[in-house]
Amino acid sequence: MKKRIFYWISGRNVKKPVVSDIIKTYDVDVTILKAKMEPSEGFLTLELNGNEDSLVNSVEYLKEYGEVEDISQPIQKKEEKCIDCGACIVHCPVGAIKFEEDFSVTFDIDECIGCKTCAKICPTKAIIVYDL
Amino acid sequence: MKTIKQINEKIKNGDAVIVTAEEMISIVEEEGAEKASEIVDVVTTGTFGAMCSSGVFLNFGHSDPPIKMMKTYLNGVEAYSGVAAVDAYLGATQANSDDDISIDYGGAHVIEDLVAGKEIELEAEGYTTDCYPRKRVSTIITIDDLNQAMLFNPRNCYQSYNSATNSRDEKLYTYMGKLLPEFGNLNYSGAGQLNPMQNDFNTTTKTYNTFGVGTKIFAGGAQGYIAGEGTQHSPASGFGTLAIQGNLKEMDTKFIRGATIPKYGSTLFMGIGIPIPVLNSEIAQTCAIRDEDIKVPILDYGIQRRDKPTLGVTNYKDLRTGKLSMELDINGEKVDKCIRTTSVSSYKTSREIAGELKDWIVNKEFFLTERVAELNTCAPKSMKADAKLVRDIIKRPPIVAKATISVPEASKILIEKNINHLPIVDENNCIMGIITSWDIAKAMAQSKTTISDIMTKYVVWASPDEPIEMVAKKMSANNISGLPIVDNNKKVLGVISAEDISKLIGHYI
Ligand code: SF4
Ligand code: SF4
Repeated sequence: MKKRIFYWISGRNVKKPVVSDIIKTYDVDVTILKAKMEPSEGFLTLELNGNEDSLVNSVEYLKEYGEVEDISQPIQKKEEKCIDCGACIVHCPVGAIKFEEDFSVTFDIDECIGCKTCAKICPTKAIIVYDL
Repeated sequence: MKTIKQINEKIKNGDAVIVTAEEMISIVEEEGAEKASEIVDVVTTGTFGAMCSSGVFLNFGHSDPPIKMMKTYLNGVEAYSGVAAVDAYLGATQANSDDDISIDYGGAHVIEDLVAGKEIELEAEGYTTDCYPRKRVSTIITIDDLNQAMLFNPRNCYQSYNSATNSRDEKLYTYMGKLLPEFGNLNYSGAGQLNPMQNDFNTTTKTYNTFGVGTKIFAGGAQGYIAGEGTQHSPASGFGTLAIQGNLKEMDTKFIRGATIPKYGSTLFMGIGIPIPVLNSEIAQTCAIRDEDIKVPILDYGIQRRDKPTLGVTNYKDLRTGKLSMELDINGEKVDKCIRTTSVSSYKTSREIAGELKDWIVNKEFFLTERVAELNTCAPKSMKADAKLVRDIIKRPPIVAKATISVPEASKILIEKNINHLPIVDENNCIMGIITSWDIAKAMAQSKTTISDIMTKYVVWASPDEPIEMVAKKMSANNISGLPIVDNNKKVLGVISAEDISKLIGHYI
C-alpha cells in the first residue's frame, strides 16, 4: 500500500539519515516528492510504499525526529469553473491530471501531492487549494 | 444542388438532416461526398478557446442630470467611453486599474459577471457641458439595467493556430500558456476538425464556401452574426479570422468565460458555432476534414520576435495524443525529443457547441441565413517599426581573455580598455566565464589569484539576432549590467552593457 505524508524535521535532526533509516529498517520504498532544507529545519513530501506494518513503523520512527502529517485532499477542482481546456495537464509533476475519452479533464486526487502548480496555471481559477 | 431556402423549408417541416462536423467525417468516409451531400443538409461546427480580441459595447442610458462619460470603470476595469455620452466599449484584455488585482479581474471577468447577472459597480467621470452638467456618477448596475450590451469581437475564431514550444533555458509565460524550458511542453489551441473556419474553407479558391457577412451563428450561447472578416484576416495562408456580434444579454456563462492566462493577461473564452449548409458535394467533402488533415506549425516562442522560427509541422490528431516525437536542432546537433503536448482550448466544450447548435436547428429555433457578401480577402501587414538588434550595436573586435591570465593582468585590461566586463574564453574563443571589476575587487580582498576561481561560470549571454529590448529585460531579470554576445557556437563576438542600451534608448526618444 501507499501513503503520502508531509514531514517536518526539526533542526537538531536535519543531519540524521531518517529516510534511509526507514528504508533499511522497515523495508519501505520511499519516493521523495519534494524536499526543502533550511538551516534550522527541513520540509519533505514523501511517498511511502510497503505493507501496513512497515508503513506504521516508518511513520512512528519519523515522528521521533519531527512531525508527520497525512496528505489528505490538498486540492479540489470546482467542476462548474473548469472548462476542460487541459492547460494544467503537462504541468502536474506526478501525472495526476488527464484527459478522459470524452476530453473532460479529471484529477486523480490520490496521486496529487498538493504542489499547487495546476492551481497557478489554471486560467479560470478552477482549483481550490486547501493549505495545510 | 440544394439552396439554403430549401434547407430552411426542410428544417421547418422537421425533415432536415443535421449532423455535427465530427459525425460528418464518417458519413463522407462511408457514403462518399456525393451521396453525403444528398443525405445531409446541415453540418454544425464549434470552437471554444481564448479569444483576446473580444469586447462589448454597452449603453448605460442617461442619468439625471445627464453626464458625458469620459473615464468609465466597471468593477475597477476601464471601459473606453470616447464613443458617445453614455456608450462604452469594454475590451476583454483590459487590466484592472488596481495594480494588485490587475489581470486577475480584467475586462473578460466583467463580461462574464455581466452575463451571469451579477451586480457591477459603475464609476464614471465626465466633463461638463451645457448638455451634460454632471461631473461624476457612481452606481450599481446589472446587465438588465443596460439598454444594450452588444458583444462585438473584431477578431475571433482563427482558422488555424500555431503550436508553441520554448527552446530557452528559462520558462516563458505566453498567450499560449506556460512554456517550460528546453522544449518541456508543446501547447496548442483550436478545435481542429470541429473548427468552423476549417470546415468551410475552400482550399482551391482560398475563400469560404458558404459563410460571409450576415451569416447567423452560435455566439456565446446566443444567436449572433458574422459582421465581416476579422482583423489580421489572412485566408491565403490559412489563417482566416472572423468579426462577430451578438446580444450579450442572451448569452450563457457556459460559453463565454473570463479567464487569466498566467503572467500574460485576462482574456475571454468564447464559444462560436457556425452551421454549414451542405449545398453540394464539394461542401460535403470540405466538412469531412479530419484532425489529421489539419497542419499545425510548431513555433519556437523562445525567440521573442514577430517571426518565430518554425521547428516542424504536426497535426491535431498527433497533438491530441498528449505527446509528440520530433527531431530538434539543439545547438547544431540533431536530437530526438519526445515533447508532452497540451491543449489550451476546450475540445469538450467545442463539441457541446456543435451539439447545441444542432439541437437548435432540429428544434426549429435556428434557421440558416444567406450571406450578404463574401469575406474580403486580405493579407495582414506588419507594423513599420525598426527592430534594433544586438548586432547593430556590437563593438568589434571583442575584448576577451584566456583563463590563464593573472588577476592583475585582467584588472589591467579592464582599466586600460575602460570596460567593466571581460569574457573569459577557451582556445576557440568560446565562452567559459565572465569577469567584472567587482569580481576583481573581491579577488583582491579574498587574495584569490586565478581567473577560474573568480569568474562567473554560469554566464547569461545574448545572441546577435536578439532585439535590444530583450537584452535589457534579461539584464534586469538577472540583475546584471553586461552580457557577452555569442554566436551559435558560443564564440564570443562582443559585450553589450546596460550603458550601451541606455545610450541607444536615449537616442530613440
Ligand atoms: S496540485 Fe495539481 S499539479 Fe500538483 S500534484 Fe496535485 S494535481 Fe498535480
Ligand atoms: S487548467 Fe483549469 S480549466 Fe483548464 S482543465 Fe485544468 S482545471 Fe480545468
